Amino acid sequence: MSTGRGVLLVAAVAGCILLGLSTGAVALPLADVWNGLWHAGSSQAAIVRDLRAPRVALAFLVGGSLAISGAALQAMIRNPLAEPYLLGLSSGAGLGAVIAIASRAGGPWSVPAAAFVGALSAVALVYRLSLVSGRRLDPHVLLLSGVVVGAFAGALMSAIMVLSDAPGVRNAFLWLLGGFGTASWQALAVFSVYACIPAGLLFFHSRSLDLLALGDEPAHHLGAEVDRLRRMVYLCTALLTAASVATCGIVGFVGLVVPHAVRTRFRPLHRTLLPLVFVVGGCFLVLADVVSRTAVRPLELPVGVITALIGVPLFAVLLRRTIA
Amino acid sequence: MILAARAVSVRYRQSQPLALQSVTCEVAPAELVAVVGPNGSGKTTLLRALLGLVPVEQGTVLIDCRAVTEWSRRDLARTVGVVGQQEEVVFPLSVFETVMLGRYAHLRPLDAPGPRDHAAVTAALERCDIAALANRPVDTLSGGEWKRVRIARALAQEPRALILDEPTASLDVRHEMELFELVRGLTDNGLASLVITHHLNLAARFADRIVLLNGGSVVVTGSPGEVLNREMLSRVFEWPLAITTWRDGSPQVVPLRPGEDHL
Amino acid sequence: MGGLISRLPVALHRGGRLSRWWVFALLTGCRPTAAPAARLSVIDDAGDTVRLSAPARRVVSLIPAVTELLFAIGADSTVVGRTAYCDYPPAAHAVPNLGDGIKPSIETILARKPELVVLYNSGQNAAVAGRLAELGIPALRINTDVLSDVPRVARILGRVTGHLPDADSLAAVFDTALRNATAATSSGTRPKVLLLVWEQPPMTIGRGSFLNELVERAGGQNVFADITTSSGVVSVEAVAARNPDLIFTTSEGPSAFAGRPEWQVVPAVRSHSFLRVSGSEFNRPSPRAPAAIRELADKIRAVRR
Repeated sequence: MSTGRGVLLVAAVAGCILLGLSTGAVALPLADVWNGLWHAGSSQAAIVRDLRAPRVALAFLVGGSLAISGAALQAMIRNPLAEPYLLGLSSGAGLGAVIAIASRAGGPWSVPAAAFVGALSAVALVYRLSLVSGRRLDPHVLLLSGVVVGAFAGALMSAIMVLSDAPGVRNAFLWLLGGFGTASWQALAVFSVYACIPAGLLFFHSRSLDLLALGDEPAHHLGAEVDRLRRMVYLCTALLTAASVATCGIVGFVGLVVPHAVRTRFRPLHRTLLPLVFVVGGCFLVLADVVSRTAVRPLELPVGVITALIGVPLFAVLLRRTIA
Repeated sequence: MILAARAVSVRYRQSQPLALQSVTCEVAPAELVAVVGPNGSGKTTLLRALLGLVPVEQGTVLIDCRAVTEWSRRDLARTVGVVGQQEEVVFPLSVFETVMLGRYAHLRPLDAPGPRDHAAVTAALERCDIAALANRPVDTLSGGEWKRVRIARALAQEPRALILDEPTASLDVRHEMELFELVRGLTDNGLASLVITHHLNLAARFADRIVLLNGGSVVVTGSPGEVLNREMLSRVFEWPLAITTWRDGSPQVVPLRPGEDHL
Repeated sequence: MGGLISRLPVALHRGGRLSRWWVFALLTGCRPTAAPAARLSVIDDAGDTVRLSAPARRVVSLIPAVTELLFAIGADSTVVGRTAYCDYPPAAHAVPNLGDGIKPSIETILARKPELVVLYNSGQNAAVAGRLAELGIPALRINTDVLSDVPRVARILGRVTGHLPDADSLAAVFDTALRNATAATSSGTRPKVLLLVWEQPPMTIGRGSFLNELVERAGGQNVFADITTSSGVVSVEAVAARNPDLIFTTSEGPSAFAGRPEWQVVPAVRSHSFLRVSGSEFNRPSPRAPAAIRELADKIRAVRR
C-alpha cells in the first residue's frame, strides 16, 4: 500500500469519526463538540463524551470485527458471497434474546448475554452437523447446516414470541434489528478486551488464510495444517460475530459487502486485506449509524436496516463491475 | 532415495478390498519416475500414501529416509513440492504473489518475505519461463501458463522432490512438451521427480523409470524399454497396441483400430 | 330509527289503500320481503354499516377497553366472551376467556353463540370481521386509542346493547370528571416527563397515544410530544438532550435500565426521579382515566416538592 493511499485512509477514518461525533439526535455545533470532548462539565460534554464517543468507537470496532470475520470466512469457505450470519448465528442470537425476555430474566445484561450464548450454540450445532468424514469442515455442508439451523432457531423464536405473554417479547424484534443506542464506555471495554483475541488470531494467520483460499489440497501441499486452521477461523469468526450481535443486534451486510468491495478493488493478500477491511468496515458502520441517528430525528432507525439499504445496491454495483 | 514407498498396502475402509497391494515405488535425486496405469489402478492412492494423506495398512513410506508420519506439515512442504491435477482460482492474486505463497513453509507467520524469499521466487519464475508474467493476475492466464505458475510455486518451496499429478491434462502439444522439458531440466539439476501421467509416449521419452500399476499392484518397474512391452501393455490396458521405436530409442505406443495388425 | 322516519313521508304521499298498508307494515316493523328489518344500524370505525335486528343480548368483546365499558354501562349480563387481557372490573373474570384477542379463533367465538362481536379495528381483523359477517354474525370494529374514544364508544355500545341512557350518562360523567381532573396549566412550571415503555432499544410514547394525553392533563409535558405516532424508538442521546425531570414507566415496562451505564448521562436517572405506576387504567383509555390523571397529578406534585 502506497503512502498516498495510506494518508487517504487515515483521512477517511478521521472524517468518519468526526462526523459520528458531531451528528446525532441533537444538533451540536462543531465548537461545542470539540469543547465537550476535552472539557468535562457541560451538558454537551455529557452527550459527546458519554454517549457519542463510545458509540462511534463501538460502531467502528464492531464494523471492523464483522468485516474481518466476513473476509476470513470467505477465504475459508472459498466463496466471495459468504457472510458471518450464514452460520445460523443471527437466528441463534434472536432465540437467545427472546428466551431471555420471555423468561423475564433480570439484569440489564441478560439479553446481550443470552444472545451471545444463543449465537454460539447455533454455531456449535452447525459445526457438529457439518463434520464430515472425521475432522473436516466441508464448505457446502457448512452452508446448508447454517441455513437449516437458522431456520430451526427462527421457528422456535417465532413460536415463543407468539405463545409468551411476557411484556416486551414482541419488542425483541426491535432489539434484534440492530442499534448502538445502548453503547457505553463499559460496553466498549468489554467488547474490545474480548474481541482482541479472535481478531488478533486472524491477523496473525494472514498468510495461512491466503493458503486456505487456494483450496484444501494446495494449502495442504504448501504446508498449512488445513483442519486446524479451518477450526480456528470458524471459532474466531463465530466469537467475533456473536460478540457483535450481543453488543448491537443483527447488523448484516458489513461482513459481506466490505470484504467483497476491497477484494474486487485491490485484490490484496490477507496481510493487507484484513487491516484494510477492518478500517473500511468500521467506517461503513459508523456512517450507517450516523444515518440511523439523523434520518428521522429524534426517532432512531435500526442500524441493521440501514446497512441492508445501503449494502444491497452497493452489492449490485459491485456485482456488475466484476461481471463486466 | 528421497521418496520411497516400500511394499505399501492401503485399504480405504474395512469392508473394501485393498486399494494398493504391496506397492513399491522409489525416486532418487535426479531421477524422473513416471507412474502409469489404467483408470482406477491406484495411481492417486499411491500419491496420497506417499504424502501421508491416507493411513497405510502395511509397508513403509519414507520421505528422505524418515517415516512420512514423523514429518510436520511445514517440514514436508520444504522437502516435497506437489502440483495437483486441477486448481480453481476463487480469489485471484498476481503471479508473483501466488508463487510467493510457496515460501509459506519457510516463513514465520508475521514475517514479511525477505531477500532470500524474493530470490527463490525470481529463480522459480525464470526456471518456468514466466518471469514476464509476474504482475499479471492469475485469472487472465491460459491453462498452460497457469500450470507453469503452479510448478513455479512448488519450486519456490525449494523442495528436493517434485510430484506432479497428471500435469499434461488439457494441455496442447506445445505446452505438453514444454512442461515435460521443464520437468526433465529440473530433474537433471538434481530434483527427484515423480510424474503420474496417462501419456505413455511422453513418459517413454522423458522418464528414467516407469512404474506400471494395475488393480492396485505393480505390474512391472523398469526403464521405458523394459516396461513398454506389447503383450503386457495390451493386457493391462485391455486394448490391442503396437510398439514402434522413435529415433531416440524410446518405444512409442500406437493403439490399434479393429482389424489392424500390430506388425 | 332514522331509516323508519325517512320512509314515512314517501309512503303517505303515494296515497290510497296500498300506501296505508305500507305505513301499517312499516309501523309494525313487518315488510313483505324475506329479510328481517334491521332495527339498529351503526357505522363502525372501519366505515362499515353494522345492522342488528334487536339490541344484542350476547356480545363477545375482544377489546379490553370495550369489556370495561360494557360493564360500566350496565350491559355486563350481555358479555359472553372476553380476552385474556380483559381484567377490569374483577367481575369480568367470570366471563369465559377466549384467548389473547390478537388472532381471534372464529371457532372459539362461534362456540359462545354471540349476537354481536366487537373487535379492534386493525388490518388483520378485517378478514375476521368479514368471515363473521358471512356466518351471519354482526362484527363491530372499534378504535380505542384516545381518551375521546371513551364517551364515543360508550354511546355506540349503548346503542347496540339497548343501554343508551346509561351510556349517555356515563359519557357525561366522564367528560365532567375529565375536565375537573385536568390540572390547570400554569405556564412554564410544567415538569418535563419522559414516557418510557421499553429500554433496549429505548422506546417512548408520542402524541398519538392516550398516555400522552393522560400525562399532559396531569400537568406534565411529554418531552417527545413532537413524535406524531403513538410510539417510537429514540436514543439515549435524545433523552439526555431533552433532559426530562421525571421518567414515567408502568409496571409492565422497563425497570433495569436505571442501572445501565449509558443511562447515567440522563440527570433524572442519576437523581432517581422515577414516576412508576401500575394498573390497567394506564394500558388503555377507560372510564377510570380521570382517576388515573388525578393519581398522576398527585405524584407529579409530590416529586416537584
